Amino acid sequence: MPDWNKVVHDHLGGLDLQADERAEIVEELAGHLEEIFDDLRRQGFSEEDATRGCLLEVEDWRGLGLRIEAARRKESPMNNRVRQFWLPGLLTFTLSMGLLAVAEIYGPKPWILRSGNPPIMVVHIPWLLGLPVVGAIGAFLSRRAGGSRRAIFSSIVFPVVPYLAAILFISPVVLGFDHFIAHSPMPAAIPMAVLGLVLTPGVALLAGGLPAQLFFSRRLDSRRIASR
Amino acid sequence: MIGSGVKRGTAELAILSVLESGALHGYEIARRIEQQTQGKLRFTLASLYPLLYRIEKQDWVRGEWQIGETGRRRRRYRLTSSGKKKVAPLRAEWSELFQALRQLAKVAGA
Repeated sequence: MPDWNKVVHDHLGGLDLQADERAEIVEELAGHLEEIFDDLRRQGFSEEDATRGCLLEVEDWRGLGLRIEAARRKESPMNNRVRQFWLPGLLTFTLSMGLLAVAEIYGPKPWILRSGNPPIMVVHIPWLLGLPVVGAIGAFLSRRAGGSRRAIFSSIVFPVVPYLAAILFISPVVLGFDHFIAHSPMPAAIPMAVLGLVLTPGVALLAGGLPAQLFFSRRLDSRRIASR
Repeated sequence: MIGSGVKRGTAELAILSVLESGALHGYEIARRIEQQTQGKLRFTLASLYPLLYRIEKQDWVRGEWQIGETGRRRRRYRLTSSGKKKVAPLRAEWSELFQALRQLAKVAGA
């Protein structure tokens, strides 16, 4: 008979829990596998087949470990929303801003797109090229914290949300006062701002974030309900 | 109104229901559910324990180590008083879900 304690320990020995709690979980799960093994042997299965049958109980040990950690972990001061959305979101925002500052200071001259006079769009190519990595980091952190698809998506695009909010806030004011300002360029600048500050960086963030989400979803499988 | 957590609730209800008859360890819980549902509902180790640990943290069940007849140390789970109180609302929610599905089936078949 396989040493089930060793089998479980090999897979779950690194659980992020207290040592005694971890040892109890390993013992309990090993006992469960031992019972299945004995049951299969009593039904006439060979030792090899019974072992195989036991191992089918867990398709994804890593996912099981994550779900056990989530279930057993003491409540931390950070709730799920903080871990799954706010923390990854603020980190992607900080990284995005830092990257933009670095691109502005040390990067090559930005690409300037003119559309009318004077609405322009300033594009920092190194910043855009770095954003997919930022999006991927946001997706990874949110996914690792067990975030839903919506939380992951929000974490990825979080850096453009303040821009979008600012534009949405400013636009009605600009449009409202436009009649009183002669030759105001602002209404024409709004679409340029949306394009340059929201859509383009948003697409760049998603270009890295969405593939990362798919990749990590496969690795960090989190089946939450019982198989039927 | 059927809650969004009803699907998870049915799995929780299955565990709480079999524990109503007395304390069981994890393997017995899985076996009992499988037997009582004629194999329609099956918990693997991977699906059972995260759920058991979660409802233990919610104080619906309590696990205690005991030495079994075979001399093995096993953790047996029993319903707590709050777990016992939880069974009826969960059962009602589940029943409401099936009633809604039956009504849908009738409409579709009409």
